[in-house]
Amino acid sequence: MNKDSFLYVVIFTFLAAFVFVFVISLADGATAERVARNQELVTAQAFLNAVGRPLRGADADLEAFSALFGGAGKKAPAETAAETKTAGTVFGGQSAAGEIVEAEIDGEKVLVKQFGGQGLWGTITGVLAVNADVTRIIGLDIISHSETPGLGGRIEEDWFKNQFRGEKIAEKGISVRKGEGGADSDSENAAVDGITGASLTSAAMEKIVNKEINALRERRNKEGAGK
Amino acid sequence: MSDASAILKKNLWSDNPIFVQILGICSTLAVTSALSNTLIMTAAVTFVTALSSTTVSLLKGLIPRKVRMIVQTLIIAFYVIIVDIVLRAFLPDISRSLGPYVGLIITNCIIMGRAEAFAQSNPPVAALWDGLTSGIGYMVVLVIIAAVREMLGAGSLMGYSVLPSGFTKWTIMVMPPSAFFLLGCLIWAAKTIMMKKEARR
Repeated sequence: MNKDSFLYVVIFTFLAAFVFVFVISLADGATAERVARNQELVTAQAFLNAVGRPLRGADADLEAFSALFGGAGKKAPAETAAETKTAGTVFGGQSAAGEIVEAEIDGEKVLVKQFGGQGLWGTITGVLAVNADVTRIIGLDIISHSETPGLGGRIEEDWFKNQFRGEKIAEKGISVRKGEGGADSDSENAAVDGITGASLTSAAMEKIVNKEINALRERRNKEGAGK
Repeated sequence: MSDASAILKKNLWSDNPIFVQILGICSTLAVTSALSNTLIMTAAVTFVTALSSTTVSLLKGLIPRKVRMIVQTLIIAFYVIIVDIVLRAFLPDISRSLGPYVGLIITNCIIMGRAEAFAQSNPPVAALWDGLTSGIGYMVVLVIIAAVREMLGAGSLMGYSVLPSGFTKWTIMVMPPSAFFLLGCLIWAAKTIMMKKEARR
């Protein structure tokens, strides 16, 4: 058959595309379970990290997560999956973030919320934990983001996240200041240092965290009224 | 066998994809801020270049000329997606830190360049070797740049601190422009050595 004939070109292209895509879908199907579990684990570890629980390896973490956060444990990973799916279609990525979960950590009530908000390049999702009267942040962890690696991407580094640990929440929330390359160690000033060279990501983080704080406050007020 | 060593020398030095052909520069800027990411990224590029070259070479008798480039892109994309799936399933941390850059391997001109310039007209084993050595030539240059950038920009190598704590970090080294400066210096150094050798001859 003539290799340059129209029919050959069409048949060859179709077959080649079919074979390659078929192999990919096989590989995707074979690893889907693992990928889903990895995603679940990332979420679980983010929750544990946010409330200051140590991480003890994959299985122990998943167990500790469902023990601490109970029903939320089942929902949270599904939400993350749904979020990743809709992130492309919902412009701005202002996805409806997870519900507020109450948990008892060392005898104290904490409020934990999975959040999602618009960063510089895409949606930043993570977990924020605060104390019962929303005056102090317990901790913050990032689940996923698509910020510039090495710049905004550093929001997932420990030095940045640890600044939030035990940070006082002021009337206006938290401010992310222009940093000097180091971390802000004062936990009473309701401010953390931003990332040098990543002003937009730092500003986005400030906005996201404050939005979540407001949501958590609303919840606190509602509960106060109920009592 | 002299062929193999000639290909090796060409791809690593005299015809290096980065500092002689100036290909794949975008990824040089993007993934060289931390050494561990660079190693995984360049290993993935090497893997994709080697296997896509081999596949193109195996199929070269069957691919119609009209759709040659499209089929090459399909083959390259196939391997890149396989790499992405493997990273997501087995190395989730690295997959997270590389983010969108794994998918962008598809657009790395080195891979397409080797498929077009070499694999198209050579037997599969030679194409495999050519792809492998091209990838390594790319890897060596990026690793050098990444090592300098991570050391001066973050004071560490592979995430471990190597410089004394009093060291002032060079913020510029973390930002993309520094890769341009370093790459320029590397090209300058390599060209100088090459010209000296030529002059001696």
